[in-house]
Order: sequence, then C-alpha cells, then structure tokens
Amino acid sequence: MADIAIPYSAVAAKRRREGLTAAALVGPATIFVTFCLLAPLVILFRYSLNEFVPTTKVMVEALTPANYIRFFTDPYYTAILATTVRVAVLVTAVCLLLGFPLAYVVARTQSRFKHLLIISIILPLFVGNAVRAAGWMTIFGTKGAVNATLLWLGLIDAPLQIMFTETAVIIGIIAVNLPFMVLTLQSVIEGIDRAVEEAAFSLGAPPGTMFRRVLWPLALPGIVAGTILTFILAMNAYATPFLLGGPRFKMMAPLVYDQFTKQANWPFGGSIAFILMTVTLLLTVAANLLLQRRAAR
Amino acid sequence: MIALLHRRARRWALNGAAAVGLGYILLPLVFVTWLAFFHQEIPSFPPEGYSLRWFAAILDQRKFVSGFSVGFQLAALAMVLGLALGVPAALCLARRNFRLRGPLANLLLMPIIVPGVVLGTAMYVFHVEVENGLDMDVIGTFYALVAGHIVIVIPWVVRLVTASLSGVDRATEEAAQNLGANPWITFWRITLPAIRPGIVAGALFAFVTSFGNLEMSLFLVGPGRTTLPIVILQYLEWKIDPTIAAVSVVQIVLIGTAMLITDRYVKLARVV
Repeated sequence: MADIAIPYSAVAAKRRREGLTAAALVGPATIFVTFCLLAPLVILFRYSLNEFVPTTKVMVEALTPANYIRFFTDPYYTAILATTVRVAVLVTAVCLLLGFPLAYVVARTQSRFKHLLIISIILPLFVGNAVRAAGWMTIFGTKGAVNATLLWLGLIDAPLQIMFTETAVIIGIIAVNLPFMVLTLQSVIEGIDRAVEEAAFSLGAPPGTMFRRVLWPLALPGIVAGTILTFILAMNAYATPFLLGGPRFKMMAPLVYDQFTKQANWPFGGSIAFILMTVTLLLTVAANLLLQRRAAR
Repeated sequence: MIALLHRRARRWALNGAAAVGLGYILLPLVFVTWLAFFHQEIPSFPPEGYSLRWFAAILDQRKFVSGFSVGFQLAALAMVLGLALGVPAALCLARRNFRLRGPLANLLLMPIIVPGVVLGTAMYVFHVEVENGLDMDVIGTFYALVAGHIVIVIPWVVRLVTASLSGVDRATEEAAQNLGANPWITFWRITLPAIRPGIVAGALFAFVTSFGNLEMSLFLVGPGRTTLPIVILQYLEWKIDPTIAAVSVVQIVLIGTAMLITDRYVKLARVV
C-alpha cells in the first residue's frame, strides 16, 4: 500500500539497493561453493566419460559411456551395488525400529539430565567412524568380548569369525547412523503436542492404536527425513565397511577409493561415484513418493 | 490397580527399548575406552590387568601428535572462514525474498548431501586441472585441504544460523529501524545478540565436522599433512591395540568436553 505513494524511481532505487546488499551477503558463499563444489563435480563427470588405457595407466580424452557400460555389464560390480543397497535398506529399517523408542523417550522426558542424554547421543557422531570401528573390532575380534564370553559360557568350542563379515559391517553402520535417526525423530516428536496423545488415550484408544492413528501420522515427516538421511549415509559408508568388512567385503564407497587411488583409474572411479550418487538419489526419491502417496491415502 | 500395573509395565517396556538404543550407540565407545586401560597389548578378554602406559605411548608416535595438530589448525581455519561466508549468507536467505532464494539455499546445503568419497574425488580432479592450468602447486597442499573443508562446514553454519533466525521476531528489527537505527546498528544491537546461540552452535558443528572428516580428506591430504582420523584409519587397517584405543579416548574426552562447554551457552537439544 505504502509503495503507491512513493514515486516509481524511488521504489526502483530502494529495490536495487536491497538487491545489492542481498548479493553482497549471499554472493561470496555462493561463488565459493560454485567454484569449489559444482566445478569439481562437473570436471569429475567429464572425466568419467574419458577413456583409460590399463596397460599404461593413462587417461585418454574421449566422449564415451564405456565406463558406465562396463560397470553395469560386469557381475562383479553389479554385485557390489546390490550388496550396498541391501546393507543400506537393512540398516535403515533397524535404525527406525531401534531409534523410535529412544527418540520418543528423549522427546518426552522431563528429566533434568535431558541435555546429558542428548550429548551422549551426539558425542559418538562427532568422535568419528574410525574410533567407533575400533570399538567394534575390540568386541568382534577372535579373542574379543563376544568370543571370550561365548567360549566362557561353553556355547562354542572355537572362536567365531565375526570380523570381516557382512554382519559385522551392518552392526557397525547401524551404530553410526542411529544417532542421526534419533535426533531427526526426536525434534519432530517434540513438536507434537502431548495433549493430542492424551486425547486419544482418554477417548479409549489402546497404546497401539494411539501410535498407529495419531503418533505415526504426525511424526511421518520426521520418519521420512530420518529414513532418507540414514539411507543416504548407509549407501555412502566408507570407514565402517573398510575396517569391519576387511579387504574382501566390498561396498560402493571403498570401491570408488580403490579405483581412484590404487588403480589410478580416474574415469572408472568417477563413473562409479556418479552411479553411487544417482542410484542413492533415485531410490530416495522413489521411497519418498511411495511414503507420501501412502500418507495421502 | 491392574490398569496401573499395565501402565507401569508399558512405561518400563518403552524405557527398556530406549535404553537398548542408547546402549547400542554407546557400546563401541565403552569398549574402546576399556581397551585403552588394558595391561597386555593384545585385545583379548578378559584383560590380564590394567595400566596407564598406553597414554604415554601416544606421545612416542609422532604421527598421532602431528595428525592432531594439523587437524586442529585445519578445523580452526575452516571454522573461521566458514562462519565468515556462512553467517551473511544465512542472514540473506532468512531475511530477504528473492527469486533465486530456493536454489541458492539448496546449493549451500548441497555439500551435506553429496557423499564424502564423491566430494573427495571431485575435488582431487579439480585440483589436478587447476594445477595444470595455473602451473602452481595445488594437489596435497594445506590450502587446498582448507578450501575443501570450508565447503563442508558452510551448510552447517547456514543451517544452524537460519534456524535461530527463524526464531527471531522480525518486528523487533523493524521497531529498531522505525526508531531510527540504520541497518548496521539494527544488526549489531538486535539481530546479532538474538542469533548468538545459532552462531556458537554453527561454529562448534563446523569445527567438529572438519576435525572428524575422513572420507573427503583421504583424497586431499598430502604427505606429512595427514589428519588424525586418517592416521587412526590407517593404523586400524593393520591392527587394533591399546595405543590406538588410548588415542581414541583422548579424542572422546576432548570432544565430550567441547560439547559440555557449548551446551552451557546453547542448549544442544534445541539446535540439532
């Protein structure tokens, strides 16, 4: 309304000034990220279309989809992709199952020590994957805690091989991703009014029904966000499969590293990186659509 | 009476399930801490005795000390520069309405979504191109590493500062301007104090994200300039022993302390 009274040129000048400050504020970060993230991704994509001569280990400029075709036609590589997706789906499901009760309790607790509870969930995140893998190595080793306990109980005669198995990797990645799931769910559950739950109870709903009809639908945005985050992280896990899976067990991220640094095959490594990113994105979008359609019904 | 028992039982079941989740998260940290105090070098259970000698052994291995100091300098630099770039960007994204706002916000948050190995490989080939194009040392230099780390800390700063800005009522800023304060004074006296918790949290997250980054850094570190997580990873590839456990404990204690201190300024529960 006020704009009408001001002459047009003054409005334009004000707009231009505001536009300039906006550019000055957001410009540097944008330029930096464009230069240091987008440009590298474009170059990597360009590299992935190049040719690689294995005998001389030299990259030859070309414009060929050969690297992508090689990945999808070689059962060795498609098996690694399948393993990665299988592990990620399993990890995500377990994280949701284990994470929901914890997130609910953290969100609803009145305790004075709530902040300590939150810190103990965040702390492992920041301590790093390698350190947590070290913990699992202590537990899973031939003379580790699990085997020592089972031997002592007389349940087994010889130590079990737990290290360097898919099970070890899955257990490890669950522990890595669980805090992300819990924190995402907790923030959403905290936003749900306690009174809504109590209303359901006072209308005679048993806890199961309350959960299904009230809590779950209201928490769905958090569940979707947490699931997507956990899935993406599991697809891209590097340190845990590298350390707990050993040299034989392969997932996509360690494969990219191998191709890139050990084989020096930049074009193929680059194409695997893009395949990993695209598959993750497609599966995420598909799951998102599916969940939203079910929520709409 | 029975109804009350039922409710109690449900309460216990819920708390029990939550305890399982929390225990799962903390289990590896508990065991790595336990191992750090073992007397014998082999991680076999039960321990033959306890000792503190592995903590002294850390200092004998130069790579741990150097990894820590490189990582610390790197994280500090990435944090400061990330704040310098990220805080103004967050201000703009939260307070202005312009056509490119959505795409720009997505661009600045993108480094969180792009996998670490993809970031690392992409930056590496970028450094190769720049080095060839400009004829100067780029690959494996400290500054190239810092640039990479700034990219991964910007999203955290933008996210946390934007979140705390959305809690600030615009009316206070408008009131200040109506009372004659210019935009700079308004920012300094009204907006900045209100978003200080967001900035502190952003700084903390930036620091720990950078300090703990492994996947991307693997591709960017040069000889003699390795960060602590990479040193730990490369050590664990060969063996697990109380020395590396002691290094882990030092890291756990340092990060835990940093978080407890930050928690006094901002409630972590509210910013994560």
